[in-house]
Amino acid sequence: MAFAAVFLPRAARSASPDRRLALAGAAFAAPAALLLLTILLAPLVVLLLLSLTDYRLGAVAVRWVGLANYAEMFSDPVFRRAIRNTFLYVAFVLPAGVFGALAVAALVHARTRTRSVYEVIYFLPVTSTLVAMATVWQFLLHPTLGPVTPLLASLGFGRLDLLNDPDLALVTLAVIGVWQMLGFNMVLFLAGLSAIPRDLYEAAALDGAAGAIDRFLRVTWPMLGPTTMFVTITTTISAFKVFDTVVVLTRGGPLGATDTLLYVLYLEGFHYFRTGYAAAMTVIVLAFLCALSLLQARLIERRVHYA
Amino acid sequence: MLTRKDFLLGTAAAAGALAAPAVRAQAAVTLDVLHAYPSFARFFTPVAEEFMKANPGIRVSFRQILPNYDELHQALLRGALTNQLPDVAFSGFNRLPELARTLSARNQILALDTLIAGEGASWAAENFSPRMLALGKVDGRQYGMPFNASSPIAYYNPELVARAGGDPDRFPDSWEGVIALGAAIKRAVPQAMGVSYYINSFDSDWLWQALVQQGGGRMLSADGKSVAFGGEAGLAAVRLARRFVTECGMQLIGADQNRQQFATGGTGIIFDSPARLAVITNLVGGRFPLRTAPFPITDKVNGGVPTGGNAAVIMASDPAKRRAAWEYVKFSAGPLAQKIAVEMTGYLPVNLKALAPEFLGRFYEQNPNARSAALQMDRSLPWEDYGANGPRIHRVQQEILTAIMRGDLTPEAGLARMVRETEALMRTA
Repeated sequence: MAFAAVFLPRAARSASPDRRLALAGAAFAAPAALLLLTILLAPLVVLLLLSLTDYRLGAVAVRWVGLANYAEMFSDPVFRRAIRNTFLYVAFVLPAGVFGALAVAALVHARTRTRSVYEVIYFLPVTSTLVAMATVWQFLLHPTLGPVTPLLASLGFGRLDLLNDPDLALVTLAVIGVWQMLGFNMVLFLAGLSAIPRDLYEAAALDGAAGAIDRFLRVTWPMLGPTTMFVTITTTISAFKVFDTVVVLTRGGPLGATDTLLYVLYLEGFHYFRTGYAAAMTVIVLAFLCALSLLQARLIERRVHYA
Repeated sequence: MLTRKDFLLGTAAAAGALAAPAVRAQAAVTLDVLHAYPSFARFFTPVAEEFMKANPGIRVSFRQILPNYDELHQALLRGALTNQLPDVAFSGFNRLPELARTLSARNQILALDTLIAGEGASWAAENFSPRMLALGKVDGRQYGMPFNASSPIAYYNPELVARAGGDPDRFPDSWEGVIALGAAIKRAVPQAMGVSYYINSFDSDWLWQALVQQGGGRMLSADGKSVAFGGEAGLAAVRLARRFVTECGMQLIGADQNRQQFATGGTGIIFDSPARLAVITNLVGGRFPLRTAPFPITDKVNGGVPTGGNAAVIMASDPAKRRAAWEYVKFSAGPLAQKIAVEMTGYLPVNLKALAPEFLGRFYEQNPNARSAALQMDRSLPWEDYGANGPRIHRVQQEILTAIMRGDLTPEAGLARMVRETEALMRTA
């Protein structure tokens, strides 16, 4: 209260108790509101305004171009290619990342003595720095020096160049993406699994649920609803934001096969210095992310059972 | 317990301590200097130390080093907006025109012409070749003073060359010769690449410009306004690019992957910056006796190689700082500073006097691999700049080049498309 006493004007202190309480509340909320305004909302407004100009970093003059940036974007083959690649990437990483992690978590959860060993193994990729790992990946996937190409060849796939073949590069990055996030999702699912009360399984057994599959479908899966929803949304968002693997491994190539939204945005903003155009692109990415999260939240929310 | 009074006293003392160097700096000038690439500190620092020894009244302090020329450029543009430009910056040659044009419009950059004239009539001619000085010129004015310069050279594996029946002591000086040698290496060692000329993955259009310029072509017309690589030299260049794949067994892999493969003995010949000499020598280790050679030039009269590197730019506005900055820039381009920089990197010296025996003469005798870059010093051509859309144009060109090398496009159709798309992007810049 000392804080409020110092900052409230004298008049407020002599006003009615209700009003005083409301003012005090507002005073307490003000710092947070102010911070929100200055570090989130104000930049967002600036971003929206910038996206309507032809501003280039360092330029003296700025011209108002209305929606021209947005019009250019949707006729730009590079941007369209980036959208397509990003959605393909998400379409691969999302199911593999969520169901793969669920499967791993279910298997690891059933271990007793070796559980922590497996947890560490699967969690290691999350803790590694990707830029440092890139050198390792470059070597592993090197068509003549690395072990992956000969391994695949001995399995009858022929000699594949996973990073430099335009048909395979995106899938390769997606596999690396799954490798990166599997461990993190697994930990979330493990937490969800540990929270399921044992007596539910006993009750299900009494009601005649027999076998692991039955138990999984009747108890585990419904009880994991909230976790699954959370994992799905975070995986979608982080897959949508794929950037680091593209920068260090392919730089959008070969032939633009791994151009993704964030990478193209980065090129426009920080290599080509087309700030206005990049701002318009950011608005679109933001809109996509909001829409995707809202859609998923609504769709899944309906089916999630909160214990 | 910490009272408000204590706090105020403490912060005041801290502020005083911070302000103290600024007070001292009025007696001696402190130059605020910015350069790119953290690994360059190993020659920027000793050069600055030598400079301060020779000029006790001037202190050089380096800002946080930036990772590459693009980020340096971006930092300078931001600094221009917030009035926080350094006094001296070392800008990449390919970024210099855009930087000079942007900053001169804002009156935040110093043209060096009068300072150079002030050094005496013969000073410039005695120290610099006209081609070298021209690298720092933008729109006819000298905005940058070249500091580091490099043009691509050949790195080759003499063991593979010998196995293919070639003479490791006589590297071909024409591209027909390079292709023939590469094809012979491929035949002798089928799992190796004969030649790799990785314009499909190099991080700038430098190597691609080299292939056009060596044949006597130029990327742009003399006024820099229209595309000039659509002719014979350009066509010869894209045909060569395809032949590296079809005749010399080149695979289209990443630039780092190429360097790795060369270092393990899996590639006969690669072309890269002499600034990477130390890196590539380390990668190779002792696997084979690495050799280098000057870049082959088909057109011996008009042909040349694009010059990468950086030039010092003065942005200080205070007259005393400007004088000090000029002394520093002059010293950096001088023979002693050049000796330090060249010995540590493999760059070629920008100063003619640096070749004298007391500076670099002995070094080149002991390090023949470093000499290749210096041998082509008089072949230096500007790294041509397409203007504000340069990086975007490079990306489009690289895709088309990749398609040509893969055989998806014929060299003729690919070149025509490259000219068309480059012109379109230059217009919208």
